[in-house]
Amino acid sequence: MMLYLAQFHLGPLLAALLLGLAMGWIAVVHRGAEMPTRWLVRIGVLVAALVVVSVTQALRGRIYISDSLYLDLSRAAYWLDLALVLFAVYLAGCAVGTWLRMLLVAHQSRPKKPSPNPETDSAKGPAS
Amino acid sequence: MRKWWPGLIPLALILAFAAYSHTSRLEAALAARADAALADITLDEQDIRASGRDIELSAKAFTEQGRRGALAIAETVRGVRRVNDQTALLPWTSPFTWSARREVTRIVLGGEVPLPETRTSLNDIARRSGGSIEVVDQMRYSRGAPANFDAATRLLAGELARLSSGEIKLADTKATLNGMARELGDRELIMLALRELPAGFTTEVNIQAPPYVFQANKDPVTSIVTFSGYAPDNVRRQIVTAAGRKFFSDIIIDGLRVALGAPAGFANAVTVALGDLSRLSTGSLVIADRTVKLTGDAFYEAAATQIRDTLQSRLPEGWQAETEISVKPLAGAVDSAVCQRLFSDLLARGRIRFESGRATIDPDSASLLDQLVAIAMRCPTTLVEIAGHTDADGDDAANLSLSQRRARAVVDYMTAAGLSGERLMAVGYGRMQPIASNDTEEGKTQNRRIEFTVR
Repeated sequence: MMLYLAQFHLGPLLAALLLGLAMGWIAVVHRGAEMPTRWLVRIGVLVAALVVVSVTQALRGRIYISDSLYLDLSRAAYWLDLALVLFAVYLAGCAVGTWLRMLLVAHQSRPKKPSPNPETDSAKGPAS
Repeated sequence: MRKWWPGLIPLALILAFAAYSHTSRLEAALAARADAALADITLDEQDIRASGRDIELSAKAFTEQGRRGALAIAETVRGVRRVNDQTALLPWTSPFTWSARREVTRIVLGGEVPLPETRTSLNDIARRSGGSIEVVDQMRYSRGAPANFDAATRLLAGELARLSSGEIKLADTKATLNGMARELGDRELIMLALRELPAGFTTEVNIQAPPYVFQANKDPVTSIVTFSGYAPDNVRRQIVTAAGRKFFSDIIIDGLRVALGAPAGFANAVTVALGDLSRLSTGSLVIADRTVKLTGDAFYEAAATQIRDTLQSRLPEGWQAETEISVKPLAGAVDSAVCQRLFSDLLARGRIRFESGRATIDPDSASLLDQLVAIAMRCPTTLVEIAGHTDADGDDAANLSLSQRRARAVVDYMTAAGLSGERLMAVGYGRMQPIASNDTEEGKTQNRRIEFTVR
């Protein structure tokens, strides 16, 4: 089932993965603001709650506001599932991107043969 | 990880794009997949709608097992998250009624039917009931059909071909048939077919049939008797054989068609009526159901009166006679020589028959005797000797007596016809004047005879 859905949403999933890779890659050297811990916790709690809603299939059916107006909870559940999967893929991409950049940085910062001009060598350290 | 959050904004855009572009496609794909998965499951009013990854299955199931099976299959369709069960069992109907109405070129199938297979089968059978028949299917699915409903309705629908109009109804196990049979014998074939209904089914049949018509025409000019219309297979040969004796000098053209459905007493009625037709110079006999209509010209007045007065009483009970008998104008008078030749010619073509060993004239000889009377009337001044002869078998005295009595019986017939007894002389010769050998059966037959001699 999951393979079928993955194939069906291959484009958005690849986009989320590439986005994650890019953000992870950039994040290693980026000097931008970091997310405060409290927000990180809030987002974590929210995502956990949404995962629970998704796994328990709590969203189902319709809620009618009037005879012709209703909230389609089944469709909302699909969008929720899609959002969580894209988010998970994005996070995975970020993790892989960061890891790859870290590997590259570590490789570049490793001491090489003694240089006749140590000042020049010492200027190539990590920027973050 | 704390620096990954800026990507959430473009991720949200990707999500919005995916939701916008994929939702309808996914819903359509899931509905199609569910529909394909349920293709082998028999459901009525099936409707599948997808909303997100959930599908709503609406259907009327023929059995509880079928309903559960359909739900189980829908739940296994790849990509489906939940199945919203909107299925129900078909309504239970009691009494379970089914009908088939024939309107000449149209058949309307109505009432309840338990399964699509039965419905298809009934439609096929109805379509085969006629060349360009239009079948209107107004049947609806329902539960509660009696056992063997399929076999019973298929048999009943098959009988639509034998109806020109009418209706077949089935209420649980009671079948009612009303209408008009298409052809003669079809009513009887329907009755026969209904015996094959499964055990427990009862029938009430009120089917009219077209009139059972038998016709015979006697043409004195061509000496041809033509039969047309219908006769049962076993009676047809009997009729033709009897006609061969009664119409002794005529050619018989048998145009009868074999058909069941003749009214009771048909064979007797036809035999009696043909006997009277044979006594007419020219005539027509029409038998429609139990009505016998005889028209034509008798050879003389007494014969006409006798036919008019007695035909009804000689017919089987419940039969009706209608006669329009006139008398053929008497032909011109002839002298004794011509009269003798006419007698001889006629007796050369036919023999007066009697009951074996007795002097009672066989009714089949009435036509011959009437024609002999008509000849005798053309020579009113002559004396006619009517002589009886026997073969050589048996006692001489008995043969002589028998020949005398037979000659007397003929004279009595002719005097009853209006001829003067003084002109007629009955004589018995017994075995004394053979015209052929008495050693053979054929010779004996020729020797047993009545001769007319003009004196």
